[in-house]
Amino acid sequence: MPASAPNSLNIRTYQVGFGDCFLLSFNYDGSKKRHVLIDFGTKALPPGAPKGHMLRIANNIKETVGNDPFAVVATHRHQDHISGFQRSSNGKGTGDIIRGMKPMVVVQPWTEEPGLAQDAKAPALKRFGAGAKQRVAALSDIHEIAARVVDAARRGQLPREMRDRLTFIGEDNVKNLDAVKNLMTMGQQEPVYVFSGTKSGLDQLLPGVKVHVLGPPTVDQFKKIKSYAKTSDEYWSFQARAMRAGASSATSKGKGKVLFPRHVASTGPNYPVEARWLIYHARLAQSEQLLSIVTMLDKVMNNTSVILVFEAGAKKFLFPGDAQLENWLFALDGTNDKYKALLQSVDLYKVGHHGSWNATPKKLWGLFKKKSASSGSGRLKTLMSTLEGVFHEEHEVPREKLVTELKDQSELLSTNKLPQSDLFRDTLVQL
Amino acid sequence: MRNVRGSRHSLVNTQKLTIIAQDPSVKIGGKILVSEVDVPAEELLAGPRGYRVNVIDFDTATSTLYRPAVLKRAKNGQYEDAFALKKADGTPRKRPKRYDRRLVSDPTFHAQNVYAIVMRTLAQFEFALGRRVPWGSQGHQIHVAPHAFADANAFYSREHRGIFFGYFTGPSNRTIFTCLSHDIVAHETTHAILDGIRSRYLEPSSPDQAAFHEGFADIIALLSIFSLPDLIGQLLDRSTPRGRMISKAHLTADALKQSVLLGLAEEMGVGLSKGRESALRRSVKLRPGRPYMSMPEFSEEHDRGELLVAAMMNAFLEIWMSRLAKIGFVSPGKRDRSLVVEEGARAAGHLLTMTIRALDYCPPTDITFADYLSALLTVDREVVPDDKYRYRAALLRHFNNFGIRHAIGADADGLWKQFDGELVYARTHFDSMLRDKEEVFRFIWENRKALDIDDRGYVEVQSVRPSIRIGPDGFTLRETVAEYVQIMTLQARELKAALKITPPPDLPPTMRIRIFGGGALIFNEYGQLKYKIANRIEDAKRQTARLKYLWESGALDGDQEGGLRLARLHRARMARAERSE
Repeated sequence: MPASAPNSLNIRTYQVGFGDCFLLSFNYDGSKKRHVLIDFGTKALPPGAPKGHMLRIANNIKETVGNDPFAVVATHRHQDHISGFQRSSNGKGTGDIIRGMKPMVVVQPWTEEPGLAQDAKAPALKRFGAGAKQRVAALSDIHEIAARVVDAARRGQLPREMRDRLTFIGEDNVKNLDAVKNLMTMGQQEPVYVFSGTKSGLDQLLPGVKVHVLGPPTVDQFKKIKSYAKTSDEYWSFQARAMRAGASSATSKGKGKVLFPRHVASTGPNYPVEARWLIYHARLAQSEQLLSIVTMLDKVMNNTSVILVFEAGAKKFLFPGDAQLENWLFALDGTNDKYKALLQSVDLYKVGHHGSWNATPKKLWGLFKKKSASSGSGRLKTLMSTLEGVFHEEHEVPREKLVTELKDQSELLSTNKLPQSDLFRDTLVQL
Repeated sequence: MRNVRGSRHSLVNTQKLTIIAQDPSVKIGGKILVSEVDVPAEELLAGPRGYRVNVIDFDTATSTLYRPAVLKRAKNGQYEDAFALKKADGTPRKRPKRYDRRLVSDPTFHAQNVYAIVMRTLAQFEFALGRRVPWGSQGHQIHVAPHAFADANAFYSREHRGIFFGYFTGPSNRTIFTCLSHDIVAHETTHAILDGIRSRYLEPSSPDQAAFHEGFADIIALLSIFSLPDLIGQLLDRSTPRGRMISKAHLTADALKQSVLLGLAEEMGVGLSKGRESALRRSVKLRPGRPYMSMPEFSEEHDRGELLVAAMMNAFLEIWMSRLAKIGFVSPGKRDRSLVVEEGARAAGHLLTMTIRALDYCPPTDITFADYLSALLTVDREVVPDDKYRYRAALLRHFNNFGIRHAIGADADGLWKQFDGELVYARTHFDSMLRDKEEVFRFIWENRKALDIDDRGYVEVQSVRPSIRIGPDGFTLRETVAEYVQIMTLQARELKAALKITPPPDLPPTMRIRIFGGGALIFNEYGQLKYKIANRIEDAKRQTARLKYLWESGALDGDQEGGLRLARLHRARMARAERSE
């Protein structure tokens, strides 16, 4: 049995490019260790990453954990957070390796609760409140919409940069069925589905560590924040239906069905000169619309992220997945003084959503009391797993302004600055 | 002198074209209700492509360009309307076989339908304002794509210089064409025109400004539909056998609300989405007398826009009834149906004109519903001083019923105060002041103290436009409307000291903040300033509220897609569910 509390924590930040993968190893007396893997996914590996890069990471996790007690947290179901849990048909995939490690428990957001699917049963609804079923249905619609956007982006003749952006965000939101199933069944215990204020399910694994769940809020919890405009769950159902209808007239070859075959003047590429200006702009307007849709749905999915604060000894570690403002609002609401006090004294912050502009709300950043312009032992540490060059201009990731602030006010470790040979970087914190 | 047709007679001013009265789901006796409307006569190329509208039928979903509609020239010099149900002399023509099917399945009719509704809407604005009206986008001709994409959306885009209409499959597996819906086409056209008249109204500013574009476009679209007598006649008493007379029981405010307004809402919901139906339905169902404007559930732009629609539609019903009261009964308890319909169409037409004219009497930046109400009342007094049908009283009452009060700077009766300051006219010239921005700027410069215009910041005269109408005495009245905009850019930390504006506490002190002010100057026919309708840039209370709204709505973070705002708004609206009352 380990001593009642850990004496140090090592956080291994893996180089997964545009994605997240953190292995938290709590060190107890007598060289005993207990581990939590928070996310394992990528959407784009760093340039020059060798074939089998993710397998190397999976094997490193396996070696590091060995036979120690171990749990998995999948903050939300975006590809860049869960693709590593996907299995291979030969049984040697990264997801197979993690599964083989037999995690004690898998922690996920409440929206992953399988009982909330179309045939939602009373106990699940009772636990997560009214509106939970509609939220889960909306998330399912979002996967479908994302798949249709990816399809439209591939078929449509769009400017290259626009097509790449649409495909990237769209694919990140396409359902990864195998990873989802694997997460659902790989734990030794029943999976734990959490929301703001619930127990984390990690207490048994981590003696002497308090794990606070700050998010995501349930539909009922979020409804309490009246001032913020919300996208309704019905919106996604309507959008999915509208897009489904558009695609239902597509032929088997993936080409759209022409509305008025007897009236066609041209199917391109050489359209009459007088129509070209409009054609270019109609395509651009349509792709901007699609981008607006995928950006919105990406945000909705991000906002299902589990937000955890690990409190060990006198130290606090904040892992918020990709939570964006709407997810944070409940935790940062004026009535939640307990959460506010926790956030104020955070020692280490995993930067949300790979350093994008919208996942580190000013209100949150403003709370951190250990920010400091001068280096020292008590200075805030920040970890950012990201890849430059995926998003540009107004959607730039990581956001330059934020990176500057992180560099100025904290001790920043960013994976995009790691040498190509490094698979990971460790951060050891004495508790 | 001969004209281009070789005749010494004047050319005709209008061209008749057939459109679908509302959308293909609105039928009489199982047949689609169509209407023949007048649009400005002009030289048309294939498309149709005229001097203001260029219809190009390209579908991005299939990369297909459809053949343009070609209107043939008839012997009388006008264009032939291939879908007309009336002969040239106005006598009815037998409805051809498969006529309805052709309306829906022939893209050349779709092109004609959008062309006619866009031009008709534009003509309504030009008629009301007595001048040519520019589009919000660059260029003289706006592009219109009737089948732009497979999606349940339609929108105007300033950046892409066009109005784009989507199509999608409806609940009954029928393809729904948004370009065949009169209210959608008129609504989108109104966005394009309003953007041309008041370009700053698309900027984030306040809940009112966010809602104004949408509410105003709805009002224009609805009043345009109600000014078609065929449609009103159809909606009036659908459940009873039709005769030449109509019972007075059908002509109470409640009965008309049920039959005409909710009837139209119902029809809108048949083909399209619940979202469009329920916007009108909710507007009609809102109970008057509650402080809606301060209720949090009406701070969101769609809901808030419905308040404007509710006030205007209720005023429309009252005005219609007031007009009916003056025509008397043909037999006990019965009125002549055609007169009832005609009076309804006339009331809608008058209200439509007022609604448009009021824009000239609104400040060019940061509009509020209160400003708009005062503008409406003022413009009506200018045009009809005696108010025989009590339009102003009806408007004031119904706007107040939905929590919309007149502007703070207005007189006690809600109308804008006339300008009575001492001004210097000697350094400007009357003729130049009618059209020259530089001259109006000089006028402002010489009179900036009297006009209460802050010396600091940037001032620009954005437009000088004539407003011509027939006065109550039958003579032509020419006024001049000029608008100026003030812009100041400061760091957040400077706001308090410079302008007493209190920024939100979380606002980063070095963030650059742009603030706006501006005014509309209305000069009478002698070139004397009659009204100055302005939002002062140094109005600390207004600027503080604006900044709070921008900060909380994410507009200062870049969480707004400027160019796509209308597209996003309309998509969200189509998908809206019915709000519980």
